[in-house]
Amino acid sequence: MTTAVLPAGAATAPRSAPLGRLLGAELTWVLRRPRTLVMLGVLALIPVVIAIGVTVVGGDVPGPRGGPGLIGAIAGNGLVLPVASITLALALLLPMAVTTAAADAIAGEAASGTLRGLLLAPVGRLRLVVMKAFGVLVVATLAVLVIAVAGLLAALVVVGSADGQLVTLSGTTIGLGEALGRVLIMVVWTVGQLAAVGAVALALSSLTEHPMVVLASVLGGLIVFGVLSAIPALDWLQPYLLTSGWTAGADVLRDPMVWDGLVESSLRALCYTAVGGGLATYRMLRRDA
Amino acid sequence: MTSTDQTTDRTTEVPTDDPATAATAAAAGFAARAVGLRKVFGPTVAVDGVDLDVPTGSVLGMLGPNGSGKTTLIRMLLGLTRPTAGRAELLGHDVGAAAAAALPHVGALVEGPGFHPFLSGRANLSRVAAAEPLLGGRPLAPVVDDALERVGLAAAADRRYRGYSLGMKQRLGLAAALLLPRRLVVLDEPTNGLDPAGTRDVRRIIGELHAGGATVIVSSHLLAEVEATCTHVAVLQSGSLLAAGELRTLLDTGGSGLVVSTPDVELALRTLREVGVTAYRTEDGVAAADDGPPAPEVIALLVRAGVAVHEARRNRTNLDELFARLTEETP
Repeated sequence: MTTAVLPAGAATAPRSAPLGRLLGAELTWVLRRPRTLVMLGVLALIPVVIAIGVTVVGGDVPGPRGGPGLIGAIAGNGLVLPVASITLALALLLPMAVTTAAADAIAGEAASGTLRGLLLAPVGRLRLVVMKAFGVLVVATLAVLVIAVAGLLAALVVVGSADGQLVTLSGTTIGLGEALGRVLIMVVWTVGQLAAVGAVALALSSLTEHPMVVLASVLGGLIVFGVLSAIPALDWLQPYLLTSGWTAGADVLRDPMVWDGLVESSLRALCYTAVGGGLATYRMLRRDA
Repeated sequence: MTSTDQTTDRTTEVPTDDPATAATAAAAGFAARAVGLRKVFGPTVAVDGVDLDVPTGSVLGMLGPNGSGKTTLIRMLLGLTRPTAGRAELLGHDVGAAAAAALPHVGALVEGPGFHPFLSGRANLSRVAAAEPLLGGRPLAPVVDDALERVGLAAAADRRYRGYSLGMKQRLGLAAALLLPRRLVVLDEPTNGLDPAGTRDVRRIIGELHAGGATVIVSSHLLAEVEATCTHVAVLQSGSLLAAGELRTLLDTGGSGLVVSTPDVELALRTLREVGVTAYRTEDGVAAADDGPPAPEVIALLVRAGVAVHEARRNRTNLDELFARLTEETP
């Protein structure tokens, strides 16, 4: 037991650990958590399952409203697969993955008694929010990337593409390079939407020490949003609902690309992120641990 | 403790704080201070106006039955809980405004060990180490290995925390608190779940910290534990500080102190503590130790301060009995 009193130089001692080290520790923590890995694995299966389904069932699969839907467009046109898979997962699975990460980030740490350890170290409360937001954003990015990459691989191996080209929803054909560019746009846009979900989830996470409460509230909220947007009398609510822009992702498959929906939903997501992030920060600066 | 002069001899033995850390001259001798700390949770008063000074280099035993406010008081001292009223100081820094300046020098085990079950002991400790400001820029692995070695967990370091026994969890908590040399170590019920060997280890660790000049605050509901390791004692009951002072003085008080019956307990306590008398609350008034002016002067002082003195007599209760009564009864 060495208990030497620190030398006089302690006056200039650092008051917080280097941010890089904190972010590294957060990354390790997030990526070692079994549920994160299981979740990424499940997400990777989505495009594979769709690919197999489409190939086995074959050509003309009617979309939900009778016409050739996004899933139907995959047949023989594999490069649609990543976009279709992400759109499908965005309905519930991706928000769930991000919300789980956000719930564990603050509420989970409080529940396991590790939040007070971080505050006592001390990790400044503002830094703690940055560290946690970073962890959630990493999970969101990885989740979307996993689907995109698995989707591309499944497209090439199982579905096969139209000579390395993508047939757009508009009927035109674009090359592999541009198709990959479109998928990348889809990934970035989706991460933006998930950042909004994550920020709101982090805010809720900072209010409680029960991770389940966060998960239930966010998923419940998404379902309520879905119900609200289905009621014609409440049309005026649409511009305020985060989920109402979530069909815009498929716009990357049009030729020329339609930006309106993507930009509008991104701006909406930015508002949600700002409000959620602000609330989480406000609460963390005051929270007892 | 509440009286400064009885502790001056001790504070001078200890290497003094560097000037920048000791913000105020008055606070230089204290590793931690509570000034009128009060915490109310809804209708419950958890801590009720506690004034407590912990001299640098002392080992303070915080004694009291379950629910007496020990943990809440410690949490307020560490800035984990916002006080309803009053303020706390750590190593000369105000906890509300400048806790970040003091906390790197403080190691704490509060409310049991908190770690992630899916990580190994070593991985958990590495995560704690990564957040330590004073380890910034230094490789963490040797520090973590040292700490694990010190608490006897080296063999179990790579097992998941989930599988640890209660005692091993407690040891890992100690390892986190003692990851690097600290100036103040706060241990809340450190022997919970430990076997006799573990309890001896904790005593040895506290002894070594004390010898090294660090200040230790250790809370417990066991008198024996406190008696064996502490230089100072603070006794809490129902959120109030019942007695505080050097252990030896307090134990002596039992035989020869002065008991004053009065309804003006607060005023009496304040008056006595102002002149450096160790004083604590009794059933119908206050008890004063013989470490201040002689009895006639003490009584005159109280009367002059406006305290209504109904009766004054020599104390016949032993502090030992008081401790036993406090800690064995469930309030």
